[in-house]
Amino acid sequence: MLRRWLNGIHFPLFFSVVALAAIGILFIYSASYRDPGNYEAKQVFWILMGLAVLIGVPFIGYRPFLSISYPFYIFTLILLVLVDFFGSKVLGAQRWLTLGPIAIQPSEFAKVGALLAGVNFLGSHHPWEGQTRTVSVALLLLAVPLFLIVKQPDLGTALLFIPMSIVMLFLWGVRKRFLIAGLSALVLATPLVWGFLKAYQKKRLMVFLNPSLDPLGSGYTALQSKIAVGSGGFWGKGYLAGTQTQLHFVPEHHTDFIFCVIGEELGFLGSLLVLCLYGFLFHSIFLIMQHTTDVKAKMLCGGVLALLFSHVVINVGMTIGLMPIAGVPLPLVSYGGSSFIMTCLCLGLVLSVYKERSIF
Amino acid sequence: MFTRFHFFQTFVFILMMLLGLGLFQTQVFRGSYYYELSKRNRVRLIPLEAPRGRVLDQKERLLAANRPSYNVIAIPEDITPEVYPRLSKLLGMPEKEVRRRMSAGREYPFAPAVIREDIPQELAFLIEERRPELPGVSVRVAGIRYYPYGETASHVIGYIGAISPREYDGMDRDRFGMSSQIGRAGIERAFDDDLRGWRGGQQIEVDARGQRVRILSDRKPEAGSDITLTLDLEFQKKIMDMVKGLHASIAVLDLETEGLLALASAPAYDPNIFVSPSSSEQRLHVLKDGNSPMLDRGINAAYPPGSIFKLVTALAALDLGKITPQTRFRCAGSFKLAPKSKPVRCWLHEGHGSLNLYEALERSCNVYFLNLAKKLTPDEIAHYAHELGLGEPLRLEISRVAPGLIPDLAWKKARFNLPWYQGETLNMAIGQGYLLVTPVEILRLTSIIAKNGKVVEPHLVVQDGTAMPETARVAIREENLGAIKKAMLQVVESDYGTGQLARVDFDKLAGKTGTAQAPPQKAHSWMTGFFPYKNPKIAFVVFVEHGGSGGITSARLVKQMLEAWRDLHVAPVA
Repeated sequence: MLRRWLNGIHFPLFFSVVALAAIGILFIYSASYRDPGNYEAKQVFWILMGLAVLIGVPFIGYRPFLSISYPFYIFTLILLVLVDFFGSKVLGAQRWLTLGPIAIQPSEFAKVGALLAGVNFLGSHHPWEGQTRTVSVALLLLAVPLFLIVKQPDLGTALLFIPMSIVMLFLWGVRKRFLIAGLSALVLATPLVWGFLKAYQKKRLMVFLNPSLDPLGSGYTALQSKIAVGSGGFWGKGYLAGTQTQLHFVPEHHTDFIFCVIGEELGFLGSLLVLCLYGFLFHSIFLIMQHTTDVKAKMLCGGVLALLFSHVVINVGMTIGLMPIAGVPLPLVSYGGSSFIMTCLCLGLVLSVYKERSIF
Repeated sequence: MFTRFHFFQTFVFILMMLLGLGLFQTQVFRGSYYYELSKRNRVRLIPLEAPRGRVLDQKERLLAANRPSYNVIAIPEDITPEVYPRLSKLLGMPEKEVRRRMSAGREYPFAPAVIREDIPQELAFLIEERRPELPGVSVRVAGIRYYPYGETASHVIGYIGAISPREYDGMDRDRFGMSSQIGRAGIERAFDDDLRGWRGGQQIEVDARGQRVRILSDRKPEAGSDITLTLDLEFQKKIMDMVKGLHASIAVLDLETEGLLALASAPAYDPNIFVSPSSSEQRLHVLKDGNSPMLDRGINAAYPPGSIFKLVTALAALDLGKITPQTRFRCAGSFKLAPKSKPVRCWLHEGHGSLNLYEALERSCNVYFLNLAKKLTPDEIAHYAHELGLGEPLRLEISRVAPGLIPDLAWKKARFNLPWYQGETLNMAIGQGYLLVTPVEILRLTSIIAKNGKVVEPHLVVQDGTAMPETARVAIREENLGAIKKAMLQVVESDYGTGQLARVDFDKLAGKTGTAQAPPQKAHSWMTGFFPYKNPKIAFVVFVEHGGSGGITSARLVKQMLEAWRDLHVAPVA
């Protein structure tokens, strides 16, 4: 029994999750030990919950999740609509739903809901039959939560939908011309989206292109986070010895800007270590993908991978000025329960794909 | 075979590698540069507040402007302990207060904290001279709000106040800083978004001694836009002088532009006391004053209209065809609804005799209108009141609420759960009972009559010619409005009229007085009208709280107001 259970766990993947979560605790502590809030203790709780999810999901397997994907999808949409009405406003954006003592971020659930629904829908249709119709329905399926999240407004999370959708369609076997047409439509739609954006979002994007436009607001954050990461140099300033992040030059340093703390205190070596752990995690997912014959499982893994990957690229990219500032957490490392548990749920689905791998 | 899977894999790892290269570039290649910047935090952020837009009157005279103020600021990170006692002695404030201000919430580290605003110039120079012994302290000149005419138009202009931390949380950082001011009342509040500019700032790199090495980026603040009002400052000033010492409100509307030439409410307050932090005692005094100087009696307070409302009753009866202007009723000094009911007295106890509508309005005979009330339902009267804008929200920039009240059957049922008694219709017809109106609502009513039924919306901010669409008309026949206008002329020009005291020698005035009972105190005094009778140029309302008779207190004020208007607006005859 135990042996079978152990067989079901993909240890490289499990190891990278634990390692990243441990780094997360260390640096959440470093970033916030001067402030009240005990974030690291809370995060330990979330990590334990998350790991339970990670180990638990393979017992259920990914198929039941796919079979309830539509109701779950509807449920996440309802949460998104609710947040529009009852959500609490933080810095002008309505993203949180408070249920008693805990606050949840429905957009985190919506990502998983859309992923499962998309995989289930595409997987149930063969790419050679009526592709136009299938693709349009799938796009609609993904566009509804995307629209609701843009409306919150949470541009960062909304942007994450795009690579996830592309990868899902790509692995499913969408025709190249659809892909090219879709990408060009995306480019053409940019001016349209621009008009839809809130003033502060436009500003962030403008500032990304020309940081001196806004020395007070996001331009300042961008510069300070770059100084923080850059000042770490090769070796770093040492654990708890970072000056930039400790002094609150960088905002939200225990959540979205945690990479600044890591980069400053552990230097290039530490940053590289974190990047390698993510690389290792992605590699494990690729291996699992390679050993499955089920199209749905393949798309599911690909979608999870795309989601995590785009999180990492946007988050790390914004700290060093390669990406605009967007409220995107660093998965498994940043403080936050919703994000950690949903990431673990996603990786649990990947693990269950591994458990049901073909042994040939 | 190179499958889609391989393509995906390659893409992911290439991007990861690029990210690694980016980190290498930032941390290793440029690492020492950023390290230098970080060592004593070499980047300072200096916010530059945008000058607030000005408020001008119709002739471009300044009603709200900015004057320079010397502020003492300090960067707490650069302060040494011995600075506190020195600074507290210089500024004459307790050391505890200096420390509190120093540690108050700031937008970001190394941001300057404001220790004291608006210090005298000599003190500013003294602090500048002694800077060597005050590290981290400096004096900065900033714009501060200034209302040159104090009380003159305080209710219109309003005032500003510091933003609260809660409000600050939800605001755009480009427009609001932690110590920004925000409009709290009047035009300052209604047009805060226009008056407020865009903050600028400088990121500067400094050396170890805090001296500037170079500017990393710079954005100039953008001043807010100016607001031009329809008010005429000189006219407003004269009117404020007339109502000094009274609890009163006078509003005058230019019928051509539909802009308010004057909107005065007394007593008033000096908005400057809300600007300077040193006048907190005066602020408390004003806020606690039993005469409520903060209340704009023109738009935010509602009173019984008294006989002014007879205009509405008369229009309702005429327009519904219940009477013609020649219909006569006999006033014997009192009126009985039924043979056995308690008689209601006319204000002229010996009675007016037989009157037609013109004479009834001219002499403000109660009995005539009580006879009309018998022919009308309260809902009919209420309908005409609403048609003429009473109880309807104003579209005035600084107030869009309708504090007035026009009772009807449904209202009485909802409010008291009681049926309507006919006696209450009698009260309503002569402007008493539950009826409540604001002076500016009455001004709008008079303007509609003066413009023969064109819907008029008083406004305060000068609008572009394009923003004046041809508005709708009220659903009242023009000949009936004409009859009312003629009656209003008689109110002033006839030797029996109640408004004779307002008569001026240079042209013909039309008006209506009102004396609204407000027991146990003296009655409220009203007068409204338009001038001149032919081709009216202005409409006005005068209201004096507990001012007694409308035909005396208010009519005298109307005469003074018209003379002031003539002096300012009509070219003197050579």
